[in-house]
Amino acid sequence: MVIVQRKSLSLAERLYLPEVLRGLSITFKKIFQPAITRQYPEEPLPTTEVTRGQPRLVVKDDGNIACVSCGLCEAACPAYAITIDGQETDRFIEREPERFDIDMLRCILCGFCEEACPKDAIFMSNELELADYSRSGLVYDMEKLKRPASALKGRMDYIKRINDRWQTSSST
Amino acid sequence: MTDLILLLIKASVIYGGLLGCAALMTLAERKVSAWMQYRIGPNRVGPFGLLQPLADGVKFIFKEDVTPDGANPWMFRLAPLMAAVPAMMTVAVVPFAGDVTLFGYDFGPLSIADLDIGILFVLAIGGLGVYGVILGGWASNSKYSLLGGLRASAQMISYELSLILIVLSIVAMTGSLDLREIVAAQTGTFLGVLPDWNVFQQPVAFVLFVIATFAETNRLPFDFAECEPELVGGFHTEYSSMKFALFFLGEYCAMIVMACLTTVLFLGGAEVPYWADAPWFLQLPAFMVKAGFFCFLFIWVRWTLPRFRFDQLMHLGWKVFLPVALVNLFLTGLLISF
Amino acid sequence: MSDTVTIKVNGREVEADPTKPLIAACHDSGEEVPHYCYHPGLSPVGSCRICQVSVKVGEMPARVVVACRTPITPGMEVDTEAPKAHDARKECLEFLLKNHPLDCPICDKAGECTLQDYSFDEGQGEGRSVEPRRKLDKRKDLGDVIVLDQERCILCSRCVRFMEEVPGTPQLCVSQRGSHSVIETWQDRPLAGNYQGNLADVCPVGALTLKEFRFQARVWNLHKVASTCPGCSRGCSTTVEVLRKGEVKRVRPRENAAVNGWWMCDEGRFGFDAVNREGRLAGALLRSTSRGWDAVDTADALETARDMLAVHGEVLLVGSPFLTVEEGKVLVGLGKTLGTRPVFVSPEPNEWADDLLHTGDPSPNRKGLEDLGFDALPAEEILARISEGSEAVVLVGERIADSLGRDAVAGLGEHLRVILMDTHPVDSRAIDVAIGVPNYVERAGTWVNIDGHAGRIAPARQAPAGTWNLERSLDHLHTLLHTEPEGATP
Repeated sequence: MVIVQRKSLSLAERLYLPEVLRGLSITFKKIFQPAITRQYPEEPLPTTEVTRGQPRLVVKDDGNIACVSCGLCEAACPAYAITIDGQETDRFIEREPERFDIDMLRCILCGFCEEACPKDAIFMSNELELADYSRSGLVYDMEKLKRPASALKGRMDYIKRINDRWQTSSST
Repeated sequence: MTDLILLLIKASVIYGGLLGCAALMTLAERKVSAWMQYRIGPNRVGPFGLLQPLADGVKFIFKEDVTPDGANPWMFRLAPLMAAVPAMMTVAVVPFAGDVTLFGYDFGPLSIADLDIGILFVLAIGGLGVYGVILGGWASNSKYSLLGGLRASAQMISYELSLILIVLSIVAMTGSLDLREIVAAQTGTFLGVLPDWNVFQQPVAFVLFVIATFAETNRLPFDFAECEPELVGGFHTEYSSMKFALFFLGEYCAMIVMACLTTVLFLGGAEVPYWADAPWFLQLPAFMVKAGFFCFLFIWVRWTLPRFRFDQLMHLGWKVFLPVALVNLFLTGLLISF
Repeated sequence: MSDTVTIKVNGREVEADPTKPLIAACHDSGEEVPHYCYHPGLSPVGSCRICQVSVKVGEMPARVVVACRTPITPGMEVDTEAPKAHDARKECLEFLLKNHPLDCPICDKAGECTLQDYSFDEGQGEGRSVEPRRKLDKRKDLGDVIVLDQERCILCSRCVRFMEEVPGTPQLCVSQRGSHSVIETWQDRPLAGNYQGNLADVCPVGALTLKEFRFQARVWNLHKVASTCPGCSRGCSTTVEVLRKGEVKRVRPRENAAVNGWWMCDEGRFGFDAVNREGRLAGALLRSTSRGWDAVDTADALETARDMLAVHGEVLLVGSPFLTVEEGKVLVGLGKTLGTRPVFVSPEPNEWADDLLHTGDPSPNRKGLEDLGFDALPAEEILARISEGSEAVVLVGERIADSLGRDAVAGLGEHLRVILMDTHPVDSRAIDVAIGVPNYVERAGTWVNIDGHAGRIAPARQAPAGTWNLERSLDHLHTLLHTEPEGATP
């Protein structure tokens, strides 16, 4: 058992009014301090390459999608948000997705897909906003997910850096 | 006939001003609280959010009007009116400024009714406001509402007593129940430098009065009639749409009236300090600055102090305020007699 | 069965069949020995060298040998995980991976590739070779069924041996020598025959892939259910593989020594179009007065069917060749109540008959239905009987309309009262009630093959919503026929 020694109140404190005035003076001073809130849609949150936003698919510089629809992100996805159907192409890389759907309502932005991808084809972008008038509108298809590699470059470099660090630390 | 037209003009101006101020108060409440919390507050509707009250009003109108099962429908509808109307009626006797002369025409003093028992009228009509609250609480057929209504009535009776005793000491000093007389009695200077305002002559009464107005208008730290953590929403738990808006309006009107009353009783009403014969267009701003300070005080205190406990409120009302007010009245009497 | 001999595998004494290679004994005793060129259905050649194990015979010191080419001798002591054997396997694996491309993300075999599995187990992440990998044809067309990726090939020669030994039509060979070796057909002629699909199964890596299945699905997304092939009266054991509980993507043979060994023919393998066909009959349809169909509950449709059957004396029960034994039994019972002997459509023999698997008789349950007392009649005869004598006809079972000919069913006379119980509706004026039934990947049951071997079918996906199992529908109809119709006046 601990006996807490409470501070005995002085007369001014017991009168309460001086303390009220002190409190009022504090709140009055705060009025003139600048707001720390943000005008959200006009001033979006600053994002960095560490920001783990919604997953997006990389379109390589030659205009082709980097994804080969291997299905590893689909398998890694803990929320079962990803659905992929593959198809054959005439390019050297023989396979590409015919359908690549991410159910953004299911997606938990965990980044497992990014980690699983062997082709550096899916990355967590800095896009965070998600709104629609229907549930089906939030199942993003390939056209909605495609982003040029340049738009995702920061994140791609960051992931590469992290992976390199893992590699070196595990080998030592 | 001219008198009637004059009255209508004055009434519409004053009520328009009152309702406009009440609307602005809702905005000010949110803005000031935001500033105190490092926020910006409403700023989407109109410049600096000035049209926010308008948007709120539109929203209130379009909200679904719910009447709970088992509620007494007539009482349920009557209660918001009973809460709002008395609060608005009291403003009729408040003298906002002296004689108004505009375009060479004399409109007379800027108040709707120039009653010689003005202070009595204010207390009598203002006391009716509690009926709306308790009626609303009872008619809602909800335990939270009922408890809120009961608390409101208990609280108002407790503090009205002290309030009247304090007013009594002012009245005793002035020797008149007419608000205009009370204002007139406060012209001149006190101790040579200060304006001859009751706030300097009756500092204890002033403090008690201001605190009692908080309890009277159900504002924090004494808002036990709504008291969200305990009673959901208190007496207006079951109210929605325009009925809720009426309660809201009544509350803010009561605040403004109380601010006006405090100004009249303690800060010399519309008097411009050291200039007894100031024209009306200076008196009115002077009045508005004084009353505005008290309106601000209502908001300021609300976002500074936490809520009391109900037993603390009652303890304060009956065991502190009542004796102090009585002693103050006694001393005032002694002072006047000798 | 020949005499068995006793050998020791990893310290345990096991009985082994001396006619089989050592690797079979290891597998039978539950030990994992990796293998690429060895296939229990093919002759062993020992070309991949991945199945090396340590064997000690008598007083001789233990030696590392290739398990698939080592005959079993009494008293052998096998250690599959001896360090020397393990090292030897690991070195072999490195050589196999030397020229194997790293395109598992693209490769269809990924997920069921033993090379991938074993590489993963051994955990060799990087090759030590500085030589460039072989650059070969990645899309070599080998006919209508198979595509060859020569880069992925590890030259195990299983496909070559399969073509020689199973259908007996040698068409593939390993041409060139050394590191230039590739699998080829003579003069790049396309493959022929009814057994090409098995090449994709025997290939241990993703070198031989089915054109039909290429890039269609990842194998771990396939829901695999043991089933039986409906293609002919052989009734090969199969695995039906369904993508996301919906479309059947692939059918593969399931090992069953009594029926089909490890193989199946291409007719059966690719003959699943009917189960994926759109426009299923879900629930039931009633012919409405205004020249259309009304969707109704199966129970309501069966009430109407009962009323029709109760009124009309002459009823013909026609079963589809895909009826299971269980469904046939209920149908026979119904026939007894109605005083008629059910028949089933016996399709014409087709041209695929061979002496390996295909019987040429596209009726998977002929024996089962005939044993139950069905009359096997050709489609023409049944149609003739329908239009001649009967007033009411019940066409029962999966693809009954297909078996009779959809046009023939659509053209049945308007005076007939026909109850159709099929997977797909037929728009015919003769049909008054159409009731949906599940197909063979949606229901459980038994087919009896030509040798009297029972083959089970099992549901791999759900039937369309509202569709009753055929047994339940027939049972319900039977029960209804025994009860008086409501409001019927004597």
